[in-house]
Amino acid sequence: MSEVDSLRPLAVVLISLVAVGLIITSHRRPNVRESWSVLAAVGKFAIVASMLPGVRDGTVYVWRFETIVPHVDLSLRADPLGMLFALLASFLWIFTAFYATGYMRGLDEHAQTRFFAAFAASLSAAMGIAFAGNLITIFLFYEMLSIVTYPLVAHDETDEARIAGRKYLAYTFLGGGVLLLAGTALVYWLTMVHADPSIAFQAGGITELVAASDADPWPARIAFLALAIGFGVKAAVMPVHAWLADAMVAPTPVSGLLHAVAVVKSGAFGVARVVLDVFGVDLVADLGMDVVLAGMAATTIVLASFIALRKNNLKRRLAYSTVSQLSYIVLGVALLNPLAVLGGLLHMPAHAFMKLTLFFCAGAIHVETHTDDISDMAGIGRRMPLTMGAFAVAAAGMAGMPLLAGFVSKFYIVTGGIDAGMAIFAGALIVSGVLNVAYFWPVVYTAFFETPERHDPKPIVEHDRAPFRHFVSDGGDAHHDGHHGGPPPGGWEARSPLTESTWFMLGPIALLVTGAVILGILPGEAVFLDLVEQIVEGAVGGVDR
Amino acid sequence: MIDSFAELAPAILVGLPILAAAFPLLLGRLWTRIGWWISLVTTLAMTGIAAVLAYSVHVNDAVHHHLGGFAPPIGIELVADALSVWFAFLIAATATVVLAYTYQGGPRGRAFSSVYLLLIGGLMGIALTGDLFNLFVFLEITGIAAYSLIAARQHRDAAYAALKYLIIGTVGATLYLIGVAYLFMATGSLNMVDVSASLAGGGSADIGVPLYDEMLVRAAFAFIFAGLATKVALFPVHSWQPDAYSEAPDAVTVILSALVSTVAAYALIRVTFTVFTPAFFEVTPAATTAIVTLGVVSALVGSILAVLQSRIKRMIAYSSVAQFGLVVAAIGVATGPIPAEFALAGAIIHLIGHAIMKGGIFAAAGAIAASTGARTVQEYAALARRRPGLAACVAVLGFALVGVPPSIGFIGKWYIALGAVESEMWLVAVVVFISTLLTLGYVARLLERMYFILPEDAPSAVVTDGGDGVSIGMLLVVVLAVALTVVLGFLGGPLFELVDPYIQEVLHG
Amino acid sequence: MIEAVADRLLYFVVAVLLGIGLYMTVASPNLVKKVIGVNLMQTAVFLLFVTLAFVEGGSAPVVSQEAVAGRHASPLPHVIVLTAIVVGVAVTALALVLIIRLYVGFESLREDVIQEVRRND
Repeated sequence: MSEVDSLRPLAVVLISLVAVGLIITSHRRPNVRESWSVLAAVGKFAIVASMLPGVRDGTVYVWRFETIVPHVDLSLRADPLGMLFALLASFLWIFTAFYATGYMRGLDEHAQTRFFAAFAASLSAAMGIAFAGNLITIFLFYEMLSIVTYPLVAHDETDEARIAGRKYLAYTFLGGGVLLLAGTALVYWLTMVHADPSIAFQAGGITELVAASDADPWPARIAFLALAIGFGVKAAVMPVHAWLADAMVAPTPVSGLLHAVAVVKSGAFGVARVVLDVFGVDLVADLGMDVVLAGMAATTIVLASFIALRKNNLKRRLAYSTVSQLSYIVLGVALLNPLAVLGGLLHMPAHAFMKLTLFFCAGAIHVETHTDDISDMAGIGRRMPLTMGAFAVAAAGMAGMPLLAGFVSKFYIVTGGIDAGMAIFAGALIVSGVLNVAYFWPVVYTAFFETPERHDPKPIVEHDRAPFRHFVSDGGDAHHDGHHGGPPPGGWEARSPLTESTWFMLGPIALLVTGAVILGILPGEAVFLDLVEQIVEGAVGGVDR
Repeated sequence: MIDSFAELAPAILVGLPILAAAFPLLLGRLWTRIGWWISLVTTLAMTGIAAVLAYSVHVNDAVHHHLGGFAPPIGIELVADALSVWFAFLIAATATVVLAYTYQGGPRGRAFSSVYLLLIGGLMGIALTGDLFNLFVFLEITGIAAYSLIAARQHRDAAYAALKYLIIGTVGATLYLIGVAYLFMATGSLNMVDVSASLAGGGSADIGVPLYDEMLVRAAFAFIFAGLATKVALFPVHSWQPDAYSEAPDAVTVILSALVSTVAAYALIRVTFTVFTPAFFEVTPAATTAIVTLGVVSALVGSILAVLQSRIKRMIAYSSVAQFGLVVAAIGVATGPIPAEFALAGAIIHLIGHAIMKGGIFAAAGAIAASTGARTVQEYAALARRRPGLAACVAVLGFALVGVPPSIGFIGKWYIALGAVESEMWLVAVVVFISTLLTLGYVARLLERMYFILPEDAPSAVVTDGGDGVSIGMLLVVVLAVALTVVLGFLGGPLFELVDPYIQEVLHG
Repeated sequence: MIEAVADRLLYFVVAVLLGIGLYMTVASPNLVKKVIGVNLMQTAVFLLFVTLAFVEGGSAPVVSQEAVAGRHASPLPHVIVLTAIVVGVAVTALALVLIIRLYVGFESLREDVIQEVRRND
């Protein structure tokens, strides 16, 4: 592995920050403004992709800046793990940039400039997290991400959005400014005892930390928990998951790219960094923290799936599905077995493609029909055939159907879990798979096989709803035209896939669902599997397939 | 050349503003705006001298100036070492920048200029003096100037705030003086270095045994700490500060919040580490416990009180109580049994950082009040639409205060947290980390008001004074504070290097 | 016990004066009396300095031809007290100015009344 000084990691971070400035200055001309978003997205992906061949050959691109605290540089490193996340987020931003344009215009939203600016800034922060070379740098971008996504959550400026925003800030700062900072300080202190402090990421773990935790394992354990839960907040690991469902009040592109891909995956990615590159799998096992983390993840997987069953609001059901699926990644990493880690990391792109599709579908439904609740969607497959078709495919992938993206990654995690002798965690995955079917199938069923006049009772979601607050996602938008969602009088009109919505939204949906299928059928052809294998090889040891 | 100049520089830095303070009063009758120009020239000159001095001290060694040629321990000594020069520079530079604010924003007039220069002289004296009684005199000069400046706003509430500050401040100074008297009793000296040596058993007293476990010395520390804590505005003796900050003219609030409590806290560092030294705290661990406890309580209570305020300036004032709580807690941590270099560095850097951030926020609040009349959290609704630039500055400074990197606020908090971890004072560490959320409590409240309240349900602010009276000078101060806050956030390493010589000297002899 | 007090009588006087001054400052609602309390505190500290400068059998520290060789009280505390008195006078003067302004503004010298008025603002 060779390190090469390069400005490219910095350029990846900066390009969308520059776009933020341009977006704000061209706020009077929406077309120019949106083209900045698209240009930045394409440019960002191009720069990331340009580093891919080098990274595949074992080169690490590094950019360093002034010592931000003694012995710690502000540094960006494009290593395989960072590339995985950066490639994923920057690639999906391209689709989201188009989709967001269609969505925001379709709803004639207010404060679009702020929206697009914050969106671009959050992609900058996500890239910073991906390429951060040490704990301080990742903390810096983690906090930045919290701040720039706050305007997106509170976008609606309704009471509900403000409360969601407050909750969001409180949770993410608990994760960042409190736990992450505490964990970083502890690691800095632990490694300082024996030598100059070192908190830079190293594939396989920071070597000084091993010696430090030999003396007294408890500070190291606390540091691990602080870091893991600190990142776990963004990955919505229970019990620090509650913000995610409320954050669904944000516009759907936000829920899609940020709260299914960039932000939440930055959390899962952080956990992976902590396990693989800060503590290293051996030390985590020695400290006995793998079981703790895996236990948390498995609990989240099962519980969140159960909660999702009861959610009638489509975006909220998707949110709990996200909570559950993110913990697949955490679980895979926590099992420490090469195969499980491989599966966990591979689930990052797999889940991203599928969940983004699902959210985009939910958003398209919202824009076209202002329908948010599943109970109002009976027969909506006639109105939006392509959208609901894509939804069905992605949902099947979520449940782990073979030939779709979700299958491959889950297969690896389950095999790895059994390999590691922790079959109980593998069992949690199987249970969750069943539950996935249970909460996605009714949506598909009601959309295609029911009509507003004739549909079956849904006891799980309709029973005893009263004690629960009824949330309307997308805040006051449902009142735009005095139409409160659900089918128009006379039932859904039938439309062809060509006219059901604007191609700003349909295009991304169609491409993404294709991507999810490709990841499932030809995982070896998509670049992600190779990259993940490379990561696992560096951090855990060879994959024995 | 620089060396011989540096020999004189401390005396010039202290003497120049006090001398210059006479001229606005004398010449003000002839030219109305002469006071401002005199202040500008004086503070600019001071900034330059302080910079040269800082450079000289950094490159060579500490500069000791004996006033009037009388050698210590009898004579009074001015000391420019690796700690005091940075505060001297901070004082001079801040004083210059705040002048830009007052050019249009006021207060104006010859009396104001004179008292302003007197304040700067007093602050400079605190920073540079090496004599305990001299420190008292400068504390009082600073105090008198500060009380007068608060009362410069011709409103009865301002006079009330000034008197409240005066009474509490004078009681605090008197307590400090009692402590000095006790030290004098114990050692027969007032020079800081000499008292320190005498306490250790040597010095001019030359008793041969350390005096650290003497009741007299312990009582002296208790009184001095109580007195300085009052000046720093630590809970529960903070009650003057919210009134003083909120009733003073906006420009005065900027300089008060940036410098006055800051320099008092500097005096606390100076007395704690230069005079009493860690050896004293080794013998008297209760003192460490007391400092840490008061600091921690102050950090918690200050934040909670800040969340409860409805007026902006009061809210930010309570935030100062909390932030100084952190600083004092860090000072306490550094006196602990495990030498914590990072804690002391954190205290110093957070002091300087807090001065920049708080000064900036108060300047922004003043500019906002001048342009929109908004002075309460309620009236800040939808401010982002009316004054987007100023709102953004408040947001950046607010997040810096929370400790979000890259900002000087993060650097300070990082060192304090690291120091607490390093000295294994876990309670302090937990409070430092939790304080992120507490600070977020009031900062987020403000941000939500500014950005996410729709204009129609926002109460239209009543323009009480000024109208659109925001000047370039005001904006310059705000922007400069924001820029410094962010840029210094990248320079945590170099900042540490600057204060490291002092820390090595006091913690490791 | 009594001996111990008698030995340090002056210190006890100082302590009592200080206590009275602090009590007045805190407890009296009248602003002028508060300032008097502060003055009392300061005076107590001045006395403390003068007391600790005392040297058994020493003369006043005024240097004259015949006193140079003999014992004399420590001059340094006297200098300190002189300076502190000046500071105290300045503070008191400023306090009185502020009190006059307050009286004009609130038409009262009582803190409780002033606070009442401010609350009603």
